[in-house]
Amino acid sequence: MKKPNLITDVLGISLKPERVEENLKAYADILQEIAKLRTLDLRDVHPAVIFSPIEMTKGKDHE
Amino acid sequence: MERIDTYDGEIKSFVCLAPTARAQAETAAAEIADGNYKGPLHGVPIAVKDNYFTADMPTRAGSNSAVEYPKTDSSCVTKLREAGAIIIGKTNMHEFAWGNETPPTRNPWNINHVPGGSSGGSGAAIAAGFVPAALGSDTGGSIRIPAGLCGTVGLKPTYGLVGRSGIVPHSWSLDHAGPLTATVADAAFITEALVGHDKNDPGSVDRVKPNFTSSLGTSVEGMRIGICRNHFFDSLETDVGEKVETAINQLSKLGCKVVEFEVPNLEYGLAAIFAIELASSTAWHDHSLATGITADYQSDVRTLVEIGRFVTAPDYLKAEQLRRVLMEDFAQAFSKIDVVVGPTLPLTAWQVGDRSVRIGDADESVLAASWRLTYPWNLIGVPALSIPCGFDSRGLPIGLQFAAPPFREVDLFRLAHAYEAKQDWKGARASLQGL
Repeated sequence: MKKPNLITDVLGISLKPERVEENLKAYADILQEIAKLRTLDLRDVHPAVIFSPIEMTKGKDHE
Repeated sequence: MERIDTYDGEIKSFVCLAPTARAQAETAAAEIADGNYKGPLHGVPIAVKDNYFTADMPTRAGSNSAVEYPKTDSSCVTKLREAGAIIIGKTNMHEFAWGNETPPTRNPWNINHVPGGSSGGSGAAIAAGFVPAALGSDTGGSIRIPAGLCGTVGLKPTYGLVGRSGIVPHSWSLDHAGPLTATVADAAFITEALVGHDKNDPGSVDRVKPNFTSSLGTSVEGMRIGICRNHFFDSLETDVGEKVETAINQLSKLGCKVVEFEVPNLEYGLAAIFAIELASSTAWHDHSLATGITADYQSDVRTLVEIGRFVTAPDYLKAEQLRRVLMEDFAQAFSKIDVVVGPTLPLTAWQVGDRSVRIGDADESVLAASWRLTYPWNLIGVPALSIPCGFDSRGLPIGLQFAAPPFREVDLFRLAHAYEAKQDWKGARASLQGL
């Protein structure tokens, strides 16, 4: 199997290389903030993701 | 309508006026004359941001790209029509709600300055005296930023209180629908009309309909106001800092007890909102990215939509963990206080074309400065309201922000109404002289 490319395959970016470079430059300040977030040890904190199973629609029987 | 015809060529707050606006007004007048009064919004002209679906007007979400939207009324528009409001038109917005300037709309207090965004058309339309109220949406401050810069009231309700079906999504877990208005009472009346379970919005809550307006005019003596000295008071323009401190003193004189506190974890909030907002936005625009439609977006928005791909899944989830940390930090703070008070923005409206501003001894990008005091409340989903607290030395409005525990909008309205009643600029609109 072909080794996946980081940009096109892993990140799913199908832009021209020069455009990717421009975007990386634009992302630099944000990445600096995210780097701070990565330093935190939050292993005991449940993420604030809302998840509720959807109940069976009323009036429909199980198959 | 005549005022809009006369002045909106310069302000550019509307993108479209309802062809039936006059007919809606005539119908409302006849209903009221016949004794069929529907309530305080009956016959009141209200504008809606261009990301709310409307059956009688196109929806473009501020974009000229080839993304199409249904011609049906969003949940909020349906509720306003049921309350008898006249949906007068659609207001301009920063494309896909991804920015804080709203070109080409101008600030009615000085048309060389921006109105803020992304609900900039809504803020400008009220400040210009075109309408008493408009709907906006708020993902990181997009109701409160134009409210602050245009000198209007703006409410981001508790996450889930106002249904969002029929609004073009930006970032599902951060998006809120709410009003911008000329007065606090107007905001309370409109929010009451908007509240209610929305079965087509998975984030919508089903709660007993609150009564916000009965609290207006009641005493605020003994109310505990919290001043979060870190983050919310960092690096403010001098006029902003002084007016906000004056407002805090006025609230103290009204009988409020002032409690100072700090939330050190706010230091990580910018990373969290960027990770969540960028990743969510890119997910929503993924089809447009794949089909090349994003090439027609404005360059700033196109870049933001593209760079969301750089946010990794662990970064996103860590942002959601940080979000819970902040929710718990503020839950603890709210056990000792009723309302957090601070500035809405660290600055007043900047000039069109400015990319950075000098605040104190440092230069800061206008994007970074404009939302750093508003996004924390989107991260934790609590209600936050912006109200004018005076003007800077150039005559530009300054915003004061109140935030309360989840579903305690009633405390925001009560405190803001008491404060507003003591000000001589209540409901003030820009003169538009010389336009």
